Amino acid sequence: MKEIAKKIFGYFDERFELENLVHFMSKKYVPVHRHSIWYYFGGVSLFFFIIQVITGILLLFYYKGSSDLAYESIKFIMSKVEFGWLIRSIHSWSANLFILSMYIHMFSVFFEKAYRKPRELTWLTGAVMFLMSLAFGFSGYLLPWNELAFFATKVGTDIVGAVPFVGETLKYFLRGGEDVTGATLSRFFGFHVALFPGIFTLLLVLHLLFIQRQGISEPMHSEKSEEEKKTMPFFPNFMLRDLLLWLLVLNLLAILAVFFPAELGLKANALASAPAGIRPEWYFLFMFQTLKLIPGHVLFIEGEVLGILLFGVVGLLWILVPFWDRKSSRGIRNRMINYIGIAAIVFIIILTIIGLM
Amino acid sequence: MEEHLETKNERRDFLKKIFTGGFLAFIGVTLYPIVSFLKPPKQEEVEVKSVSAGKVDELKVGDSKLVRFGTKPVIIIHADDGTFTALSATCTHLDCTVQYKNDEKVIWCACHNGKYNLHGKNISGPPPKPLDKYFVSIKNEEIIVSKEA
Amino acid sequence: MKLFNRNLLYILLTVIASPLILFATQDQCFTCHNDLGDNASNLFKEDVHYKTGLSCAGCHGGNSNSDDMDVAMNKSQGFSGVPKQNRVSETCAKCHSDTSFMKKYNSKISTHQLESLQKSVHGSLATNGKSMIVQCTTCHNAHGIKKVADPRSPVYPTNVPQTCSKCHNNAGYMQTYNPSLTVDQLAKYRTSVHGKLNANGNSKTAQCASCHGSHDILTSKDVRAKTYKLNIPKTCSSCHSNKSYMKEFAIATDQHDKYKNSVHGKAVFEKNDLSAPVCNDCHGNHGATPPGLESISKVCGTCHALNAQLFSSSLHKKVFDENKYPECETCHGNHEIKSATEKLLGVSEDAICSKCHTESKNTKGYFVAKKMRRLIDNLQIADSNAKNSIFLAEQKGMDVEEAKFKLRDIHQSKLEARTIVHSFEEKKFKEVIAKGNTASKQVITEANAAIDQFYFRRYGLLIATLVITILIISIYFYIKRIEKNQ
Repeated sequence: MKEIAKKIFGYFDERFELENLVHFMSKKYVPVHRHSIWYYFGGVSLFFFIIQVITGILLLFYYKGSSDLAYESIKFIMSKVEFGWLIRSIHSWSANLFILSMYIHMFSVFFEKAYRKPRELTWLTGAVMFLMSLAFGFSGYLLPWNELAFFATKVGTDIVGAVPFVGETLKYFLRGGEDVTGATLSRFFGFHVALFPGIFTLLLVLHLLFIQRQGISEPMHSEKSEEEKKTMPFFPNFMLRDLLLWLLVLNLLAILAVFFPAELGLKANALASAPAGIRPEWYFLFMFQTLKLIPGHVLFIEGEVLGILLFGVVGLLWILVPFWDRKSSRGIRNRMINYIGIAAIVFIIILTIIGLM
Repeated sequence: MEEHLETKNERRDFLKKIFTGGFLAFIGVTLYPIVSFLKPPKQEEVEVKSVSAGKVDELKVGDSKLVRFGTKPVIIIHADDGTFTALSATCTHLDCTVQYKNDEKVIWCACHNGKYNLHGKNISGPPPKPLDKYFVSIKNEEIIVSKEA
Repeated sequence: MKLFNRNLLYILLTVIASPLILFATQDQCFTCHNDLGDNASNLFKEDVHYKTGLSCAGCHGGNSNSDDMDVAMNKSQGFSGVPKQNRVSETCAKCHSDTSFMKKYNSKISTHQLESLQKSVHGSLATNGKSMIVQCTTCHNAHGIKKVADPRSPVYPTNVPQTCSKCHNNAGYMQTYNPSLTVDQLAKYRTSVHGKLNANGNSKTAQCASCHGSHDILTSKDVRAKTYKLNIPKTCSSCHSNKSYMKEFAIATDQHDKYKNSVHGKAVFEKNDLSAPVCNDCHGNHGATPPGLESISKVCGTCHALNAQLFSSSLHKKVFDENKYPECETCHGNHEIKSATEKLLGVSEDAICSKCHTESKNTKGYFVAKKMRRLIDNLQIADSNAKNSIFLAEQKGMDVEEAKFKLRDIHQSKLEARTIVHSFEEKKFKEVIAKGNTASKQVITEANAAIDQFYFRRYGLLIATLVITILIISIYFYIKRIEKNQ
């Protein structure tokens, strides 16, 4: 057994110089400190993305992206295809946990100020990937073509329509027409399974490449000298730990999928009245709730427009943080960033809770 | 010292065995659902708003056929004038399933002798309402029944 | 002031006394026409209006005080001759719709008759396009009008059928207004109990107006009509439930109360189901008479066709006829028919079969009935078992839509069994029940498969979790090992 493995390794080593890679990886070190645990969420997010790709491809074997077939095909997957229920439930749960772990990963990077020079572009690609994961969620939510999804998409695209100047055009583009129809479904299906995964993979490759080149960021203001700094080898120590966490997550996913399988609800009907208590997925909830709480008119502009503009500006500032947080880049402690981060978390949590009530 | 090394090695081997075994079992439990998922299901096609009622030449003039439309049965009749009619096969009286009687040219319910004409109108017996209409179209020599045109 | 008062008094006296003055002075119209001996004045002598002292001029206008024809029948004196079209009824209404005028004669007659007539079917426009179809005189005659209570009146109860049929028996005439309306009402009526008694001079039995109304006749499609389907029980019971009114007729008066509680009555009164029968659906309307013993299954069979057909070709038909048992009624009753349940079948105390079939008498039927009851009870159990399995599977969140679809077959078998029981043949009954039992078995199998699938998922998860956990633990120790060595 061992001989065969060695032979196979030898075969590839001869051609691709694997020895170098192993050497490179074992010489790579990951800093160890009290915030180490947060480092794992990047890997966990990656794992969820892999799960999404695998289950997504599997679902594509049976899913049909048209308004008169979508709902029925999901029903078919859930009831007729063996383990269809499992694959779909995992896809659905993993989508939610994916976004959650992206949130955690982003905030931990933010608090660690790991975006500071020279890792500005790593942050930037990550931020774009975060936005894309939200877009993944939004587009994927419509695909079962059920009542809830239908109305959530209606409301969601309506909000897009309120964006000044380009809103109407954008809404028309997203919906593929005046209203949410089968055309919207076809579009969202295209975004969800072709356009987004393509761009996302590209960004992911860049993101990982940057990390490989620059190594993992060390926390600021380590009082310890170079010798005292603890590290661990990337391979196998860190990788095994990553693997361990991935397996734990997989276990969690399996349990969630079996005990709380994804629901389907009623088929979308454009003529039916919107069901009561309609609200977007939890990761959009704080934004949705904010828009609801802003009064109809503030000074001379509409409340909704104001809200969208505010989110736009804040979001942009957030993404561009490595470029205006000069202090951190110069290695000076910047408490301001911590306060901003805490304020953001508190804001998101409180408004999400209000939205859930 | 030597003894100590030996037990250590033994323990290491045991761990390796568990690890390898666990890994193989893991591959098994993940691949099994995936392979099962990919295995074509017994019923090949998705049931939809429209349902196929078979080939045109399989339903002779004067014959009728029941097809399942979601949770409801639909009766398809090939009338003498060559037209196809699709109607809900649930009697509006007490929910029995109706049948076509070619000799009388009526749709008949065996439970209480309710009768409907070929337009689904209740013409005699207890049914209080006409049968719901379905839309029939012919695509590639196949009868397609749908709820809406 | 005083002068004015006295003048007023004179005027008042004159006004009050004017009818008396009219009566005192001879009616010159009548005097003259009577001398001529014409038909109108001949009839008028017997007229209720003549007797109360009304003059020809009351309807025809003119000056009845003058014996000069040129003066009396002068248009300047208000002479109008023979009233035409709607003027006829308007002339009558001049007095009959005037409450204060009618009061002077202590009249109890309604003053809304013309209004009613105008709103009735007879008040619609005639073929001439100018007047109502029917005027007062059409039924009441013009000269020689009698009180309704006068047996000579065309609207006296025993004369009403003849009066109405003047038009309603005339196919050519009715064709011009309502071609779909039959013209055989009178002929049918004369075959009915009502019609026969009426022909014998009984004024209490129902005639046309009793059910259709008089001035206010509406088409039976009109929800306000006394003959509208949902109103018929009330219309019939206005006489038939009145004990004192029905005293001289030797029939019961509880039909309406019984009917109200019957399955049919509930359908009519509680569900407003127009397809359920009211009185006339079984008894007929114009030809109203109780159905004969042998025709009951035909009457019930107009709706319960299959049951009637099965019964008529069953063993029981002959036996019932020989023993003079009323067919359906023997088991189901008449006015107070209750919803038929399995309880009617079998040999238990409240079952109908045991009335004739006991262990010692007509024993074959006894055992068949017993067996049939057991079969249907078992089907009932099979049905609830199947539903329960579905419920359990659905409760576990499993999709059992297809199995649910098969529940229809059990339902159908149950309903068909209740029909086929009227053949009283064990074999046929068994066949129908078997369909339901088979369907029930299939449903249970499928539902159980779904429940098994549910547990398969749980156990599958257990195994997968176990495997993953072992792997996690082994990796954990592996890491520890490596780090210890480093």
